[in-house]
Amino acid sequence: MDYILEVNNLRKEFKNFTLDNISFKLEPGYIMGFIGPNGAGKSTTIKLIMNLLKKDGGEVRIFGKDHEKYEKEVKNRIGFVYDENYYYEDLSIRAMKSIVASFYSDWDDDKFNQYLRDFDLNPKAKIKTLSKGMKMKFSLAVALSHNADLIIMDEPTSGLDPVFRREVLDILYNVIEDERKSIFFSTHITTDLEKIADYITFINKGKIVFSKPKDEVLESYAIVRGGLDILNDSTRKEFIGIRETKVGFEALTDNIEKTRKTFGDKVLIERANLEDIMVYSVRG
Amino acid sequence: MIGIIKRDILLILSSKQTILLMLFYIPFLMILAESFHPESFYFVIIVLYTFLMSMSSFTYDISGKSKYIMNSLPINRKELVVYKYLSIFVYLGMTIVFAGVYLWIIHILGLANVDYFSLRVIKNTIPIVMMYSAVVFPVYIRFEPRIGQILSLFVFILFFTTIGNLSYTRDKAILKFLSLMKWEYYMAIALLLYLLSLLLSISLYKEKDI
Repeated sequence: MDYILEVNNLRKEFKNFTLDNISFKLEPGYIMGFIGPNGAGKSTTIKLIMNLLKKDGGEVRIFGKDHEKYEKEVKNRIGFVYDENYYYEDLSIRAMKSIVASFYSDWDDDKFNQYLRDFDLNPKAKIKTLSKGMKMKFSLAVALSHNADLIIMDEPTSGLDPVFRREVLDILYNVIEDERKSIFFSTHITTDLEKIADYITFINKGKIVFSKPKDEVLESYAIVRGGLDILNDSTRKEFIGIRETKVGFEALTDNIEKTRKTFGDKVLIERANLEDIMVYSVRG
Repeated sequence: MIGIIKRDILLILSSKQTILLMLFYIPFLMILAESFHPESFYFVIIVLYTFLMSMSSFTYDISGKSKYIMNSLPINRKELVVYKYLSIFVYLGMTIVFAGVYLWIIHILGLANVDYFSLRVIKNTIPIVMMYSAVVFPVYIRFEPRIGQILSLFVFILFFTTIGNLSYTRDKAILKFLSLMKWEYYMAIALLLYLLSLLLSISLYKEKDI
């Protein structure tokens, strides 16, 4: 199968943190959500994919090509949106666009202008005068105006209000209607991913916990609720993470059948959401 | 290359600080170096303005968050470094035009006796600009931007005081030695340094974490 993004055994060592053996694959036409708590290694992974950081080991292939050897060719087909505005604050939208556009072989001015109108962005406005939401819209307009086949986004919705977040998600959903395009989207706002993601890759402490289709993830985990009387050292080990209160417990399991057999009708088993999975997996 | 030059020019024009520096640096130097020979003064202006322009844009690429944007665009690291080294000649050209017009106005208004165009001086600035870039660029790439700035300032002061001292010197041995050193020799040394520095910068930047 041809993958649009393929990361194999990626490794990067820092003084106090190691990104260890990261592997996942993304097919054309899908959205992959990249989740994990702060400091888990999401931004580091994205910087490694974009060749902003040099890897210590492993392989990154984009559109089937090595991302370093074919850097220019590969980046020509990537649209990127980072968590902060990294564009030159003193420049106007129009000036910044003219710089960025000169690097891409397939820049589409009509499309960019259409996005500016849709997003209500004034091309004469200086970037430093834009709100966080407007800056994000500008980044999105740039990322979507050169016919990129892979959109890489690092926490694009963090710090945005729910109305604007929904707007961003709708735009991404429209992008993905073209079955050749894919989106790789890191976030810790997991509710965004439940709406649009096809695949979820979960990273914690520099290691991949899982990388699976979203539906498979949501089906394989469950939230278990019950009374404290059934908890002991042995039953506690059945759960990935557990939260105890005075009236009972709530826990996460990835073995629903075994939990059902062990506890029968003494517990209530409910569908887990991505936030439950992330929180209990991280906290234990 | 065009994208990088376009960006640098737009950044210079959009920064009030840089524009003010460009406008007031020449009068400042006129006060500071009033005893200079008109040709030496022209020489200092050309070299310093070329430094200023190339270093201000270089700092954007090495420090600050905007470096992520530049390095995420479809351009590889080798090209980025090569363009950076080549761009000093573009800045030299821009400086010649800017300083020429500025000094010509000063000359016409009779404010000072300044040389506003000398091919001989321009020819002499080329190896200096190349040698300066050859020393400073790899330091900026390898070390923290602050160390690069300190070294840049050090080379800048060294250059300025050397030119100043040469204007005053009566030491015949030095003057004879300098007059014997043909431009071609300076240029050959500068070219060698420039190319070695370029190769070093490429290999350093290829392995750098942005």
